[in-house]
Amino acid sequence: MRIGVFICHCGKNIAGVIDIKRLTNSVAELEEVYYATDYVYLCSEPGQKAIQDQIKELGLTHIVVAACSPKMHATTFAQALEDAGVNAYLLEIANIREQCSWVHPHEPEEATDKAFELIKAGVAKVGQAVPLQPLSVPLNRKVLVVGGGIAGIQAALDIANGGFDVYLVERTPSLGGHMAQLSETFPTLDCSSCILTPRMVEAAKHPKIHLYTYSEVKEVQGVVGQYKVKIEQKPRYVDPVKCTGCGDCTEVCPVIVPNEFEQNLGGRKAIYVPFSQAVPLKYTIDLENCLNTRKLVVCDQCYRACGPKAINYLMEPKEEEIEVGAIVVATGYDLMPVEDLKEYGGGLYPDVVSGLEFERLVTASGPTSGVVRRPSDGKIPKRIVFIQCAGSRDPEHGCAYCSKICCMYTAKHAFMFKHAVPDGEVFVFYIDVRAAGKGYEEFVQRVMEEERIAYLRGKVSKVFQRDDKLIVWGSDTLTGMAVEIEADMVVLAPAVVPSKGAKELAKLFKTPVNEYGFLDEVHPKLRPVESSAMGVYLAGAAQAPKDIPDSVSQASAAASKVLGLFSQEELALEPIKAEVNLDNCDGCALCVGVCPYGAISLVQDEPDGPRHIQVHKALCQGCGVCMATCPKEGVNVAGFTLAQLREQLRAMLK
Amino acid sequence: MLKAKRKLLNADKLQVPCGRPVVFEERCKGCRLCVEYCPKQVLEMSKDFNEKGYHYPQLKQGQEKDCINCGYCQEVCPDFAIYVEKVTS
Repeated sequence: MRIGVFICHCGKNIAGVIDIKRLTNSVAELEEVYYATDYVYLCSEPGQKAIQDQIKELGLTHIVVAACSPKMHATTFAQALEDAGVNAYLLEIANIREQCSWVHPHEPEEATDKAFELIKAGVAKVGQAVPLQPLSVPLNRKVLVVGGGIAGIQAALDIANGGFDVYLVERTPSLGGHMAQLSETFPTLDCSSCILTPRMVEAAKHPKIHLYTYSEVKEVQGVVGQYKVKIEQKPRYVDPVKCTGCGDCTEVCPVIVPNEFEQNLGGRKAIYVPFSQAVPLKYTIDLENCLNTRKLVVCDQCYRACGPKAINYLMEPKEEEIEVGAIVVATGYDLMPVEDLKEYGGGLYPDVVSGLEFERLVTASGPTSGVVRRPSDGKIPKRIVFIQCAGSRDPEHGCAYCSKICCMYTAKHAFMFKHAVPDGEVFVFYIDVRAAGKGYEEFVQRVMEEERIAYLRGKVSKVFQRDDKLIVWGSDTLTGMAVEIEADMVVLAPAVVPSKGAKELAKLFKTPVNEYGFLDEVHPKLRPVESSAMGVYLAGAAQAPKDIPDSVSQASAAASKVLGLFSQEELALEPIKAEVNLDNCDGCALCVGVCPYGAISLVQDEPDGPRHIQVHKALCQGCGVCMATCPKEGVNVAGFTLAQLREQLRAMLK
Repeated sequence: MLKAKRKLLNADKLQVPCGRPVVFEERCKGCRLCVEYCPKQVLEMSKDFNEKGYHYPQLKQGQEKDCINCGYCQEVCPDFAIYVEKVTS
C-alpha cells in the first residue's frame, strides 16, 4: 500500500490561514504516508494531472486529497483517479476548507494542527478502504408526472415527444391548473386559455401520455429506475368512455353550488365540468352535494337525461399500480386564503377579493362574462384599491419571501380594469415594484403612465366597511402622508404558498421541502430541477413562486433530465450500500425496523436454518442507520465500514 | 361568513328544473313516504282529511317554485296517488 496525500491551497482560501509548508512536512513524516505534496489549485486541470502523474510515477495505491468539501469536488478527484487507474473508492477527502480554514481564520496555528488531524484521520480511513464497483440496476423507461398544470403538461409533452411513456396524474377533474383560470397573461396580454387549451388537448391526445385525471398518488415505493406507484382514481360517477360531454345532464340537475374553478364567485351544478374547455370533457358528479347518497338514489334526472347512459351512481374508487423509472413533481401553488388576511378585511367583507378571484371577474369566460362586478351586490365598482404583498414579504404571516408574480399581475389587472371601466380609478399600494423579466418593466411603466394608475408606496394598515364602501387606511411613504381611500372593491395579492397536500406528497417521494413547504432542489444554482431523491425532478411553482415562462422552462429542463437519465443503457448506482456480514448476523432483525427505505428483509436459506438479513441494494441509500443499530457488527455500509470509521476515530484521538 | 354575504354572480344563467306535484287526494292512505323522502322538503301533510279519513300531502305554502321535478315522490308512493308535472317557464 502506497498512500499519497495532496494538499490544496485553494488560492488563499486555505493557504491564507493554514501553514501549508509545515502541514505538508508533518504529513510526509507520517509512517503510513508514502508521499505528500501541495498544489495551488488541485481541482484545476494541471492540479489533477499532478495527482495522476504521481500515481503513475510512484505507484500510489490510495489517495488522500486535503481540500474543500467532498460535496464540491469529490467526483472531480474520483474521476481523476479512475483515469489514472486507481479505484474511485480508494480516495478520501479531508475537508480543510469549510471545516477548517474558513471557520478558524483567526487561529492559524491551531487551524494548521487541526488540518493535520483531519488528514491523519483520512489517511487512517483510506488505509482500510477496498475497491468498490458501481452497481448497475435495470431502468424502467416510463415516467410519472404529478400535477396537470402548465408545468406538468409541458414536462409530460417533452418526455412523450422524446419517445417515452408518461403517466400524467391530476387531482382535479381537468388538466389546466391555475393557468386555465387566468384571463390574459402579462406582459404580452395574450389570452391564457387560447395558448393553454391546445397544449391540454395535445397532452390528452398524445399516444405516449396516459392521462389520469381526478386521481391521486397514494403510495410510492422503490428507487430511481424502478418505482412502484399506486394511483387512486376517484369515482366520477360518470363513465368517461360513454360520456360525450354534451351537457344534457347538467341542464336538468337541480343542485347549484359554488364552483371552485370560479373561486366560488360563480355557481355550478352537482354534475359538472369545472370549465367549458376542460380536458377531458367528461362530466363528474360531486356526490357531496348531489341529492343522492351512496345508499339512496332520490333524484335521477341526470340519468334520465343522459343519452348514452353514462351515469352510474354506484361507481367505486379504482386503484392501479404503475411502474416507472423517474418522477416529475409539478404540484403547483395555492394563494394564502384571504380569510388569513383579516387586517385587510379578508374574509370579513365580501368585496375584498384575492388576485385570483379578480382574475375570474375580468375573464371573458368567467361568471360575469368579463364585466367586473362586486361579489356582494353585483354592481360595477368605480374605485378599486390593490394591496400588494398581502402576506408575502411578511414574516408575521410566515412568508418572508417575495411571491414574485403579484407585481406583474396587479399591473395587468389595473390595466384590464381601466379598459373595462374607463372612468374607474385605481390605486395600488406597493412596497417595491419588482418587474424583472423580459418586457416586464416596460409593461409596468406603460400601465403607470398611459393608464394613469396611482401607485402609492406604502403599506395598508386597515380596511373596514362604511355603508357599502370599503375604507382603506394606508400611508404614502413618498409624501409622508396618511391616506384614506373610499373604495368599492379591494383586491389583495395574497402570498403564493405550496398547494394543499404538497407536503404530504413530498414525503411519499422522499423529497425535502423548505420551511415554507416548497420543494427543495439539490443545488440552488447548478442543479435547480433535481431533488435530492435521485430520479425525482421538480417543475413549476411547487419549487418556488414562478410565473408561466419560468414554470415552462423549468418543466422542459426537468424533462431533459429525465431524457438524459433514460438514455443510459443501464443505471449505475453508487456502491455505498449496506452489506451483511453473515458471520455476525444472527437474524435479530433490529435493523429491519429502523431502515427508512424498507431495504432490509429477513431471510432463511434453508427451511429450518438460521435466519439472517438481506439488503435490497437498489432501495438502500447507504444512510447507515442499520450499521449504527446492529449490536453485533452484522451489517456494514461499504465505503464507511466500522473498521474504516474505527481507524479514522483512533487516528484523531491518538 | 364571507361566503354567505356573497352572491353567485352567474346565478341568472343557472337554470334549475321546476316541477309541480299533483295529488289524487282520494287515493292517499297517509303513509307520508313522499313527505319523508322529498329531497327539497316541499311537501307537508294536509290539515284536512280525504274521503277515507286520511291526511294527504300538499305543497308547502310559498315553496311552489322549489320542487325540482325529481319525481321521487311518485316513485315511492305505494298507491299511485301523487305524480309530478314538469313546469316549463
